[in-house]
Amino acid sequence: MTTGKPPMVELTQVTKRYPIGSVTALDGVSFAIAAGASVSIEGPSGCGKTTLLNLLGLLDSPTSGSVRWNGAAAGSLPERERARLRLSGVGFIFQRFHLLPTLTAAENVELPLRAARRPGPERAARVAELLERVGLTGRARAYPHELSGGEEQRAAVARALANGPGLLLADEPTGELDRTNADAVLDLLVEAHRESGAALVIVTHNPDVAARAARHLRMQDGRILSDSLAE
Amino acid sequence: MRGIGRGRSLRHLRFQTLLAIAAVGVAVALPVVLLSVGGGVAQHELRALQQSGFQVVVGAPGLHGVEGAHGLTTKIDALREVRAASPILSLPVTVFLPGGGQAPLLAEGVMPGAFLATVSPEESGLFPSPLPLGDPTDLHHFANGSYSGAAVNSMLVSSPFANSRSVTTGERLALSVTGNRSQSTVYNVTGTFGVPPSLLGPTGAFVAILPLSDLQLLAGEAQASDGSAIDAVDTIQVALSGSASSSPTTVAQVAQSIQSLVPYYDVSTLSQEVASLQRAESVLTGFYLALSSFSLAIGLVFLGVLLVRRVDALRSSIAIRRALGLPARSLAAEFARTALVLAGGGVVLGLLAGILLVRALAIYGSAGVAAVASLAVFDPVELGTLAAAVLGLAALLSLAATRSALRFSLPEALR
Repeated sequence: MTTGKPPMVELTQVTKRYPIGSVTALDGVSFAIAAGASVSIEGPSGCGKTTLLNLLGLLDSPTSGSVRWNGAAAGSLPERERARLRLSGVGFIFQRFHLLPTLTAAENVELPLRAARRPGPERAARVAELLERVGLTGRARAYPHELSGGEEQRAAVARALANGPGLLLADEPTGELDRTNADAVLDLLVEAHRESGAALVIVTHNPDVAARAARHLRMQDGRILSDSLAE
Repeated sequence: MRGIGRGRSLRHLRFQTLLAIAAVGVAVALPVVLLSVGGGVAQHELRALQQSGFQVVVGAPGLHGVEGAHGLTTKIDALREVRAASPILSLPVTVFLPGGGQAPLLAEGVMPGAFLATVSPEESGLFPSPLPLGDPTDLHHFANGSYSGAAVNSMLVSSPFANSRSVTTGERLALSVTGNRSQSTVYNVTGTFGVPPSLLGPTGAFVAILPLSDLQLLAGEAQASDGSAIDAVDTIQVALSGSASSSPTTVAQVAQSIQSLVPYYDVSTLSQEVASLQRAESVLTGFYLALSSFSLAIGLVFLGVLLVRRVDALRSSIAIRRALGLPARSLAAEFARTALVLAGGGVVLGLLAGILLVRALAIYGSAGVAAVASLAVFDPVELGTLAAAVLGLAALLSLAATRSALRFSLPEALR
């Protein structure tokens, strides 16, 4: 796995404590993700999976320890810098989709492109390409409340891919979907990961979902219990 | 359930939005009314002052009046550029009517010739010309301060008074400054004069005009007990001739010449009085703005609270945008836009409400209110500045909402 290059993301002795209730969500976690890798993170509720994902995606900063992106300290950067890195480098897929309800599917996909100040024609072409890729060409003008759960999550995947991120972070991406839609979304994610070369991290309860990744982390009580490669 | 809750929340937000627009609207309407009506009244007064038939006034504030009026008038008349100098003595008197009744009246003692030369063009047509008050110079009766010349004993009464008391030309009325008929003097009514329409009060409605020396004698303003002349008046109004009257420099020079004649009296030019009125108007405008700032503050605080509450209501959407990496400036721009739209709506509403209210008062208000409201002036610069100030403050308020939107915890909001 080592290529001489620094890992894409590297956590060293990361601890995250929440002052309210003195909860330790992560306790001295260290691990690295190489560019293009696929990793699943499993564990029971409250074991720190989502906290770990938030730290990987720079949505949060650690109480102690370091989060490095491509060898550079990123976890302790000011929010403005972290936002810039998120915009260009991370694609998020949330369990509850988190599409903006006042925007159409196409506008939701366009949002990161607008934020990255891509020119209008380029945005339009990219949105069309992504919607086609996730099978939502005919639903481009639909608002989130007009979409099914599967369609919403596919739109969310398209949005996550918009700026060509190097890291795709999916937090229980199939948690609110039926089996058919769950499989379709997972297929999309894995396909996007393979085609774009982006690293994929999936947080899940579901062993079938976890099985789609090449590497498996198992967590409990804020620690990594095991870190193994798929057989 | 979630859908219902969100619907309620949206309705609640819409209601708050309407309230914020209404609050800013009410806050803007108040200064619109105050500034337009106050400014209109001030401009009306200024116009009236600027249209006066005289340019310089000699007065004696804090003293018993300008003494030696006849002699001083002669000296002022002799100055170059002076067309006429008109001494005026005003006193409240009691008039005893032929039918037995009595009434209060404002008596004005004037030099008939000079008086007509110093009234405004608007007023000049209201008086008979020449005034049927005998000697136009008032000097025969005055007789160098001895008041031994033949008295004229004539008076003119205003049409409103004549109509109200059924007084006609040729009648004889007794006037007294003490209210005691035994101390009255009888005058012949030799004519009537009109009163200019007055929007702002009953100025000059019940007035009589007498020869100056007659009124001075009646009021005890003619001679002292030792027989020396007092010859007092309230003011001397001085009209300049031709183009001199519209030249501020010449007016100031004439005023200076008069001041050198009477260094102990107050000599003011109309332009000074205009400036003084303008200063008073500025003070009043400041007062109106200070008063309005309370309502503006309340409206803007409401707007600020609404913006901050929007952050709570839109917490999830904001969190998604932030998570996607949208820069802070895009959130700031969004809140500024919202603040400007809400404040803009309030400003438009306030301007319309203020203007419509003033218009409605001018039509449906009681006589006095309608008269004042009809003078209102809607100065685009003033109203534009007010609107710009409200919009600027709203944009500043949006910073508080932006700050709030950038401070909450993302993981918590996305949970």
